Amino acid sequence: MVLADFVEQLLNGLTVGMVYVLLAAGLSVIFGVMNVINFSHGELFALGAYFALSITNPLGAETGFWVALVAAPLIVGVIGVGIERLTIRPLYGRNPLYHILLTFGLVLVINDLVRLVWGTEQQQLVVPNFLTQPVAVFGIQLSLYNYFMIGFAAILAAGTWVLLNKTKYGMIIRAGSQDREMVRNVGIDIDRYYTLVFGVGAALAAVAGIVLGGYQNVNTTMGNSVIIPAFVVVVLGGLGSFRGAVFGGLLVGVVQTLMRAYNGTVLADLGEFTLTVPNMEGLTVFLLMIGVLLVKPQGLFGTRGEESEGGEGEILVGGDGGLLNESTKFKLGVVAVALLAIAPFALLVTGQRYYVTVLNEILIWAIFALSLDIVMGYTGLVPLGHTMFYGVGAYAAALVMLHYTSSVFLVLGAAILICAALAWIVGALSIRVSGVYFAMITLAFAELLYSAVFKFEFTGGSDGLLGFEAMMGIAGIGVPLSDIELLVLGYEIEQRIVFYYFALLLGVLSFLVARRIMNAPFGSVLQSIRESQERAKFIGYDVTKYKRRAFVLSGGVAGLSGGLLAVSPTTFIISPDQTLYWIHSGEVIVLTLLGGMGTLYGPMLGAGAFLGLEEVLSGYTDQWRMVIGSIFILFVLFVPRGLVSVPSLVAERVDRVQNEGDPPVNIDDPEVNPDD
Amino acid sequence: MTDAVLRTDGLTKRFGELTAVDSVSLTVEEGEFRSVIGPNGAGKTTTFNLITGALTPSDGIVQFKGQDITTLPPHERVARGLGRSFQITNVFSGLTVRENVRVAAQSVNRDDINTWTALFQDKDDFESINAQTDEILEQIGLAARADEPAETLAYGDQRRLEIGLVLATDPDLVMLDEPTAGMSSEETQATMDLISDVLADQSLMLIEHDIDLVMRVSDEITVLTRGQELASGTPEEIANSEDVRDAYLGGARK
Repeated sequence: MVLADFVEQLLNGLTVGMVYVLLAAGLSVIFGVMNVINFSHGELFALGAYFALSITNPLGAETGFWVALVAAPLIVGVIGVGIERLTIRPLYGRNPLYHILLTFGLVLVINDLVRLVWGTEQQQLVVPNFLTQPVAVFGIQLSLYNYFMIGFAAILAAGTWVLLNKTKYGMIIRAGSQDREMVRNVGIDIDRYYTLVFGVGAALAAVAGIVLGGYQNVNTTMGNSVIIPAFVVVVLGGLGSFRGAVFGGLLVGVVQTLMRAYNGTVLADLGEFTLTVPNMEGLTVFLLMIGVLLVKPQGLFGTRGEESEGGEGEILVGGDGGLLNESTKFKLGVVAVALLAIAPFALLVTGQRYYVTVLNEILIWAIFALSLDIVMGYTGLVPLGHTMFYGVGAYAAALVMLHYTSSVFLVLGAAILICAALAWIVGALSIRVSGVYFAMITLAFAELLYSAVFKFEFTGGSDGLLGFEAMMGIAGIGVPLSDIELLVLGYEIEQRIVFYYFALLLGVLSFLVARRIMNAPFGSVLQSIRESQERAKFIGYDVTKYKRRAFVLSGGVAGLSGGLLAVSPTTFIISPDQTLYWIHSGEVIVLTLLGGMGTLYGPMLGAGAFLGLEEVLSGYTDQWRMVIGSIFILFVLFVPRGLVSVPSLVAERVDRVQNEGDPPVNIDDPEVNPDD
Repeated sequence: MTDAVLRTDGLTKRFGELTAVDSVSLTVEEGEFRSVIGPNGAGKTTTFNLITGALTPSDGIVQFKGQDITTLPPHERVARGLGRSFQITNVFSGLTVRENVRVAAQSVNRDDINTWTALFQDKDDFESINAQTDEILEQIGLAARADEPAETLAYGDQRRLEIGLVLATDPDLVMLDEPTAGMSSEETQATMDLISDVLADQSLMLIEHDIDLVMRVSDEITVLTRGQELASGTPEEIANSEDVRDAYLGGARK
């Protein structure tokens, strides 16, 4: 009986695993061939399920399901082709970072479209009656649908393998994943094949969505919930490796299902000791991925070695925008701070107190974005799990307030130190892998922490932590924030305004300190590493050590922002989703790029623009995510150096208009893709 | 024993079944211009990478100024005075010409920087580093363009900057990996002039497949084939060697 149970769970695991295989196969080949990290893959997966709903509902389950299984993937495949042509193609040769931003924008747009068209209610995709019948094989009762899923997905996976390995198309695609330039040099227009790869990848994702939709249900978060495990599969198996995707998919499916099924089961009772399956569902796959990457950085079946630096594409920093000289920028900065300093009064006078809370959030995120800029804009490392420091900073601050002291200075100090220490550990383990692998391993660490806070008693599980309060002071001398009440000119200065000035002060200080460090010898080495790691090594710098130090610095600053979140008087709860969810790692990258990285003030500006826009838009329309997503996409395509580059872009445009008739002076234009 | 700058003994690198470098022992004397030549696949670049530290040898040792550096990482070799240039121009393209040289000079003037100043002192406030930077900008003839981004320089000037970066690390021995690859004969001449001009005080080791060039500039030549040392000697000796003629000059010459 125990064995039968086990086999049943194993089969359940394989069923889910096959879905991952279909997803990962597309993701992996898209990455391997095009070097695109496609975050929107999960949304294409969801789209497949939704189109299937629309087809099955009028036609009925018996025929509709089969029609949907063919038609919906075709539709999604065509959508994939459109996406590739219109948005991804202009970005080839750029750093994979830009694909993250772009596909992150696509996630928002597609997800909002789905909500708009199909609603937010969870729906059931009906499958033909006979597929739902239970079948007993060797005494194991499973619905026929399980076997159908395994079988159907296996056939598709095999088909993809044949396409990749036995056809001319496949050969060119595989050759492209080995060496794109070489394929171009022998006269093959590899770009055309990219469209095909992306379309097929999208269609496979759609099939996976339909198949899983019929097994569980169809909802708007389904894409979000599969994309991270799918990435784990791809990285675990080896980026670009089809075999790796199959093996990794099944492994992750089985491990996930077994850990869930046998959670807390007693394995052996040895009198004094009982050996139980640890409560590790969710953690296991990330531990597995980190373990594999540490031992074999290229994944289980990966063949690609270290990426050559040339192929990475450069990171476009905001630059100094020749238009504004140092003193103008200094004046602008002073004006900006002055405006921020009087902003609460303006809001008080106009009775818009609520917006102080928004400003507080902006300040916190501005510091968070600043911290990312240190590693991303100055050192050229792209961490996909930066929210781990924001989250751990918040949790650390809340825990210190709950258990030790409520002095804001000590609380924030503790948050900074704990995050710096965490960054040192994560950095020591992850900085030896580079590029996309570094991005992925940091993502895995962040997800590990995200899963972990659900598990532990002291972090409050899914409820999070509450009941803490900060005190403005140290060593017992000070005032709890809630007791601060001042009257200035007849206006009540409430605690959130006090906090606002505190956060503003810290924000300005962080910026000034970070700028000092980036203009000092240490910062100059970081920038040389960003420009060329090889070169930096061969003029005598220990690149790994410098990167790790930058990461520690960045982690500490991010810890400050997380700590501030906990200290803020309008924060009552620190929960996992609010702080450690992977979306926040994406968001902070997005607003750093949006502002213009490598400038320190750009990302802070980006935080203001992003959160401000979100606030304004959500007041007008429910589809604000779609608007924001579209703005990201347009920014990546047309303003890759961010908001701070707008003045010089405008100046350039004005120049061009004035010199009408002159040949375009594009040759030295830094906006032109260098790899074209 | 004379003052050998570089000495390798039994240097070997195996990649799986393939032995790319097979027991190469060579000695570069101080002030010498040594070239290593050989047909494609002879193990030149692997030898180069073993000496600079980009690869770790399977066997054998590398000695630099009398000290064993076989297992040192590249940056520590640079700190001891072993510089290298890149075949494909590799400068910090987004930084200014001055900053390129300055950050290289900073690397060897670390005694002037303590933890506090490394983090909080403006990078342009260090007199010794600035002086060295200015001197090198003069030497490579780019002083007038010091404030332009390196990416706006013409190819030839980028090569100059490349040499400047090596020079700024104050090397005793400079390893040059096909510095004239893909150049016209005029550009090649200009580059070799630059090398003999600004790197006159350094020992040089040149990895090259252009045999005519090598014959003109070298003091000593080592010929590699299939990972092994075939012959070593002055250009005349190499030109007159039967073995070399058979293996390289005659048969496999490109």
